[in-house]
Amino acid sequence: MSSKRTGVFVCHCGTNIAATVDVKTVAAELGKDPGVIVARDYVYMCSDPGQNAVIKAVKENQLDSVVISCCSPNLHEKTFREAAAQGGLNGFQCEIANIREQCAWVHRDRGQATDKAVRISRSAVRRAQGNIALDPIGVPVTRRVLIIGGGIAGIQAALDLANAGLEVILVEKQPTIGGHMLQLSETFPTLDCAQCILSPKMVEVSKHPKITLMTQSEVESVSGFVGNFKAKIKTKAVYVDPELCKICDDCANVCPVAVPNQYDLGLTNRRAIHIPFAQAIPATYTLDDSACLGLNPVVCGKCADVCEAKAINYDARPTVKEVEIGAIVVATGFDLYAKENLGEYGAGRYADVLDGLQFERLCSASGATGGHVLRPSDHKEPKEVVFIQCAGSRDPETHCAYCSKICCMYTAKHASLYKHHVPDGQAYVFYIDIRSGGKGYEEFVQRTMENDGVVYLRGRVSKVYERNGKIVVLGVDTLTGRNVEIDADMVVLAEAMEPSTGTAEMAKVLKIGRDKDGWLAEAHPKLKPVESVTAGIFLAGTAQGPKDIPETVTQASAAASKVIALLSKDQLEHAPTVARVRKALCTGCEMCVDACPYEAIDLIDGKAVVNEVLCEGCGTCSGTCVRAAIDVKNVTQVQIHDMISAVMGV
Amino acid sequence: MLNPTKAVAALDTDFEPKIVAFLCKWCSSAGSDLAGVSRLQYPANAVPIQVMCSGSVSPMYILSAFKKGADGVLVSGCHPGDCHYMKGNFYARRRLYLVQKLLGFIGLEKERFRMSWVSAAEGVKYAQVVDDFVRDIKVLGPQRRLKARR
Amino acid sequence: MVKVEELRLHAAKLLEEGKVKGIIGYRRGTAGLYAEPCVIDRPVDAAALIWDPGCVSNLALYLVKDRKAQAASKTPDKRPLAVVAKGCDSRAVAVLLQENYFKRDEVVVLGVSCEGTGVIDQRKLAARLKGRSASKVEFDGADSFRVTIGKTESVVPATEIMADRCLECRAASPALHDTLYGEPVETRAYAQPFAAAKAAEAASEEERWAQWEHHFDRCLRCYACRSVCPMCYCPECVVDSTSIVITPETSAEEKASRVRWCERSAGSGESAMYHLTRAMHLAGRCVDCGECERVCPVNIPLRLLNTKLEMEAFEMFEYQAGDDITQASLLSSFRDEDPNAFVR
Repeated sequence: MSSKRTGVFVCHCGTNIAATVDVKTVAAELGKDPGVIVARDYVYMCSDPGQNAVIKAVKENQLDSVVISCCSPNLHEKTFREAAAQGGLNGFQCEIANIREQCAWVHRDRGQATDKAVRISRSAVRRAQGNIALDPIGVPVTRRVLIIGGGIAGIQAALDLANAGLEVILVEKQPTIGGHMLQLSETFPTLDCAQCILSPKMVEVSKHPKITLMTQSEVESVSGFVGNFKAKIKTKAVYVDPELCKICDDCANVCPVAVPNQYDLGLTNRRAIHIPFAQAIPATYTLDDSACLGLNPVVCGKCADVCEAKAINYDARPTVKEVEIGAIVVATGFDLYAKENLGEYGAGRYADVLDGLQFERLCSASGATGGHVLRPSDHKEPKEVVFIQCAGSRDPETHCAYCSKICCMYTAKHASLYKHHVPDGQAYVFYIDIRSGGKGYEEFVQRTMENDGVVYLRGRVSKVYERNGKIVVLGVDTLTGRNVEIDADMVVLAEAMEPSTGTAEMAKVLKIGRDKDGWLAEAHPKLKPVESVTAGIFLAGTAQGPKDIPETVTQASAAASKVIALLSKDQLEHAPTVARVRKALCTGCEMCVDACPYEAIDLIDGKAVVNEVLCEGCGTCSGTCVRAAIDVKNVTQVQIHDMISAVMGV
Repeated sequence: MLNPTKAVAALDTDFEPKIVAFLCKWCSSAGSDLAGVSRLQYPANAVPIQVMCSGSVSPMYILSAFKKGADGVLVSGCHPGDCHYMKGNFYARRRLYLVQKLLGFIGLEKERFRMSWVSAAEGVKYAQVVDDFVRDIKVLGPQRRLKARR
Repeated sequence: MVKVEELRLHAAKLLEEGKVKGIIGYRRGTAGLYAEPCVIDRPVDAAALIWDPGCVSNLALYLVKDRKAQAASKTPDKRPLAVVAKGCDSRAVAVLLQENYFKRDEVVVLGVSCEGTGVIDQRKLAARLKGRSASKVEFDGADSFRVTIGKTESVVPATEIMADRCLECRAASPALHDTLYGEPVETRAYAQPFAAAKAAEAASEEERWAQWEHHFDRCLRCYACRSVCPMCYCPECVVDSTSIVITPETSAEEKASRVRWCERSAGSGESAMYHLTRAMHLAGRCVDCGECERVCPVNIPLRLLNTKLEMEAFEMFEYQAGDDITQASLLSSFRDEDPNAFVR
């Protein structure tokens, strides 16, 4: 039937495959197939000797195609394609038969597993026998990067990329970059001031010639593909010109509207015209039009009146900018699980039950209480503070199943800071476990327990409620086996981290996946932690999962390095397994044109024509065409037909 | 004139169904890989054929599998809205709905053709889908209606 | 009432003015009461055109045949063709236009109203006549036909001898037309749409299979159904492994690797594959002209397969073939609300 000369190489994978699948039988059976010239087994095909055996066999037997029956193609398809190339073959003449993840690892019966492995391998042989040699399609790249999210992850990635010579567009939806890190007071384990370590980076971003900073902006849509994306970025109406604003505060002084300050987590108020933080970048005031009296000089207009710099313009309009970029880094960060979800802890009803970020604002010198730890309800100093870890985390039944990673450390930090502020106060921490794996972390926790005298109680809190002005905490100390009741002045909940609002929407816009908890999905949990499933889109920071600042910075730099590698070549290689039209059969009905998700097919002179650069090879066209006039190279209908025959043993 | 076939629901314990499973590369095949990485165990009756997208599955593949004697055919893709190629699974859903209706109309047992959405994170679901399918096909017995007689 | 004389005059005029190269219409046939399709290319021949309840053929087929002839010719004549079209036929033309098989200005549609009764099914009439033969059948308003046997004319209730598809017709008026003859009757008061398919569904799974196994087994694979269908215009039919389009560009690889989806042999499994494939390929494209079933030499109820899918298209996807020339085809469009419950 086929004039091809195929070699089949069956891997034992140590005992991973061989323990269940009789690999020698698989090789022997495949050796009987028409067109299979050579069929061998080997203990580790992906190893050097294994690959060399393939190369040698190709050369000695003049093979024109190879099938490797081994683990999932996600792992070693590239490896073996390169080995095949070394043997003188086109990489696409190599096919992988997955007899490990989809066979040996999931079945017990040796006979059945071996039979299935034979069918899978045979199917791969038929596919390989239908393959043609293909060369990657060269696509020019745009040497510009879009970073979505201006927290520490976005900032770090922006600096790394800009310093490598790439143009960067940093988009942030708030009026200032800095993210949640800007809200922190001190960072563990060194207790550095968060603003002190972050501000220099923020300033560097604002001054870097290669970075274009777009705040109050969101990415509306993204089209295109790796190396050649187009994005539409919408910027809100910017009423205060950052170039002109002198940050003199005259406007805020006359603004009649006061609203809760979201940067202080509602612990203070701000005016409709305000600056988010003293260290905001861009360094400018900003007008919140949802709080403003109406931008109508007849109604109000006080701020524009007093502004000497004439920086305020009520007629500003939202703008949309279209940009072309080669890669995207998504660093959209996290938010805290809402207190309102924890009914047993007061469901957000008590002013003195705070979450971690609110506590940070209390500790922060620029915060609601000038750096003094005071109760929000009556501004009295709390003498008994209870910290509750795992508020919402590690709770698969009701809240989040996962561990939020940083809470043990920041709770120790909070307890420690509290004791520094209120030396005669008493701090209690209710915990399940202590996770303090980073450098200096364990020592930090021990100091909190021993030096700062914080009482650590191993047990959960069942209920928190108000009684006579105190917050009553009912918990248990499992190490002594006793129930604990504390009349606290303040309770701080270490709320679970969750993906920031807007992450789900952004994932849809970018067409990248999310995992079961809504975090952005990485391409491989171990080997590709900063790549999304979509080529050209990378992940950094807590958007991908809970992590602390050192890990975030690491990931941001890692993502930057991936982008640098991607954009380092003049041309990108686009997978050549694209659709192809058999013109003689095409009647120009346009069904494929309508169906193509990438609009990659056009009707030219009455026949369908595929744009190979836009085509992603999904095959929707091929499944739709009633005439089999369009097919995807190396995944043709003939090949699938032969694979079905192989699977069915006919 | 042939006698009309009587349905034989043989609960033949020796009967091992042969199922062809078309799995999309990005979700369902990855989900199947995850089931493997997690060492979940499920019956060996379903042999996978990896396609790029559930949208590329032509009705001919399913009919051909049945003609070649498949006892069951499974097509599995990404959840609607999560297709790696954005929309392929929506076309698959419409097209394969019609295939299922047509096969049912001519009297092929309804349970023999099945479609599922399995994401790359759903190793457990994949194992369950296969497990359920094999069990249901065993009740139906060997597929004789569309199998070509040689 | 269609004034046939007007149709003839208009046809002659179109030819005289050179607006079209021919008129595809009906003339008196030799197969009993059924009319014969014809192509008139001289004005004087327009007198042969007829219009009566025996005009059952779907003339859109001849547009397709002409297009194929032109494509194969070294001196193609691309002038427009006119076609006499009933409601179903005009929808067939609409589907062909939707699929760019030709351009709108290449066809002139002479729509004819079938008076609300549709066309006859000759076998039903024969059963009624019990051995006698009728020499003529004419339209007689919305509820009956006038049948002439010998010298006697009698009025027969339409429902008794109408073609099954006409009983179920949902669009009796030729929506797509350049000229319209007769008063269009939009809807009929007869059987429910898709009545035959719904009745067939009511049977049990075993009964249904028993029927279809019987039908597939009897199929001779003569492909008459395919030959008479205007939508089966594909240069190469995917199930027919012997018909292959060979052009100078056809490579050896292509010739060697034709997919043999089913064998030529008329075995039950192979025939099932042919019919099921054809049904899928017509989904959203079949206008229920009924010709496939009429021409089948072994009386396979082919309409059932196609109307079953058209019923699903209409009820689940709000799609009707030939409704709108600008709509995307059924299978190259989708809605978020498409049925999802059947997916695990």
